[in-house]
Amino acid sequence: MTSINLTLKIWRQPNNDALGGFETYLLDGIHTDMSFLEMLDVLNEKLTKEGKDPVAFDHDCREGICGMCGAVVDGVAHGPEKEVTLCQLHMRHFHSGDTLVIEPFRSRAYPIKKDLLVDRSALDRIIQAGGYVSVNTGGTPDGNSIPIPSQQAELAMDAAACIGCGACVASCPNGAAMLFTSAKISQLALLPQGQVERKNRALAMVEQMDKEGFGNCTNAKECEAVCPKGISIRNIARMNKEFFKAILTEG
Amino acid sequence: MWFVRFLVSSIGKKFIMAASGLLLFLFLCTHVAGNATIFMSSKVFQSYADELHSHPLIVLVFSLGLLGVFLAHIFVGLYLFYQNRAVSNSRYAVCTRVVKYSFASETMPYTGLFLLVFLVVHVFGFTFSPKTVLISVTVQQLLSNFFYALFYILGFVALTIHLSHGFWSMLQTFGFNHPRYNFLISRLTIVIPLFFFLVFAGIAFYFMTGLGASY
Repeated sequence: MTSINLTLKIWRQPNNDALGGFETYLLDGIHTDMSFLEMLDVLNEKLTKEGKDPVAFDHDCREGICGMCGAVVDGVAHGPEKEVTLCQLHMRHFHSGDTLVIEPFRSRAYPIKKDLLVDRSALDRIIQAGGYVSVNTGGTPDGNSIPIPSQQAELAMDAAACIGCGACVASCPNGAAMLFTSAKISQLALLPQGQVERKNRALAMVEQMDKEGFGNCTNAKECEAVCPKGISIRNIARMNKEFFKAILTEG
Repeated sequence: MWFVRFLVSSIGKKFIMAASGLLLFLFLCTHVAGNATIFMSSKVFQSYADELHSHPLIVLVFSLGLLGVFLAHIFVGLYLFYQNRAVSNSRYAVCTRVVKYSFASETMPYTGLFLLVFLVVHVFGFTFSPKTVLISVTVQQLLSNFFYALFYILGFVALTIHLSHGFWSMLQTFGFNHPRYNFLISRLTIVIPLFFFLVFAGIAFYFMTGLGASY
């Protein structure tokens, strides 16, 4: 097992109202098999032992499926490795002597709570606006009672792979949440179960997205490039169509 | 009102950019076809211009419509530019763009503004040129000036860059994104702007170098 020495420049900010700034930390003997978050754990252990405030960061499953973790490492959301979340980024991708600049996901719609911890509840509110299907419960339906073409199911699954980490917003030059919203609209618009509320969903979710203060899409494709789940901007094209069809016939 | 809701929404504004962009693209197609007659002879070009202006009502309606489309594209574009600039890249200490070759998409407002300057010069140079001089003569006179022609060529360079993002972007906004056609679209996004560049800049080059001295 090899180990590396790193210099970390981490954004520290006590709370949303306080002024933040970068702090520099030297970290020696980081095993290359560690994940990025484990490396931050080591740093926090060191800081705690020194009687200092540990770096606050979001994390939960640590296996790349929950969408809680995320930070901007050297200017790239979730770091330099493609299609991985921060927790699945391993230290073997870095070299001894590297200086890493770690910043929180930034957006007008993401207030910073502390250090690398941001409030992404704006994304939750977009889901609440229409990212669901209403099921008036009766008996449990039989499996496969609704035929769905395999291709539709696959496309819906591709969109549903979105874990809502919000890296698309963080990386977008305009801070747009179009990739997130479009994935959430697509996953239901593609399936028969999503047809009933299809139009209202598109209208409500786009309206909420605008209300939260996310930016406009200029088709820069950055979101697609950093997305840990490889969500395609084809979903944004689909959302545009969904919204256009909906606004012409509903509301 | 659904239309107001559409206009104030982020996607609605994208649609206005794309729809006006499509109309401007179609206008360019007719313009390039008309201008290409310059390469045949001054006579053919003059007869094309005379024919066009022998229908003043069509010209008037078409020009006013075009003005509206231009104004929509410019004002919504500028509005989005200022709105997006408020959320610029400067929000990070280190900002690394992952997507390569995004020069065209990053410079859309700037190539657009340069095209606006070009448009003003162009309209005052040709559309409002003295009616006593034949248009085929005005073209030759103005573009024989080295710097005037150079400005035109720069304008067409800006147009090519602008379209090399705009054409694809327009189709994406309309919802055309399908693996079967994406390759074709990506090729057209290069070929169409280059075609416009070759014909339009070719005309400026034709007179600038003196090749068209006795066209």
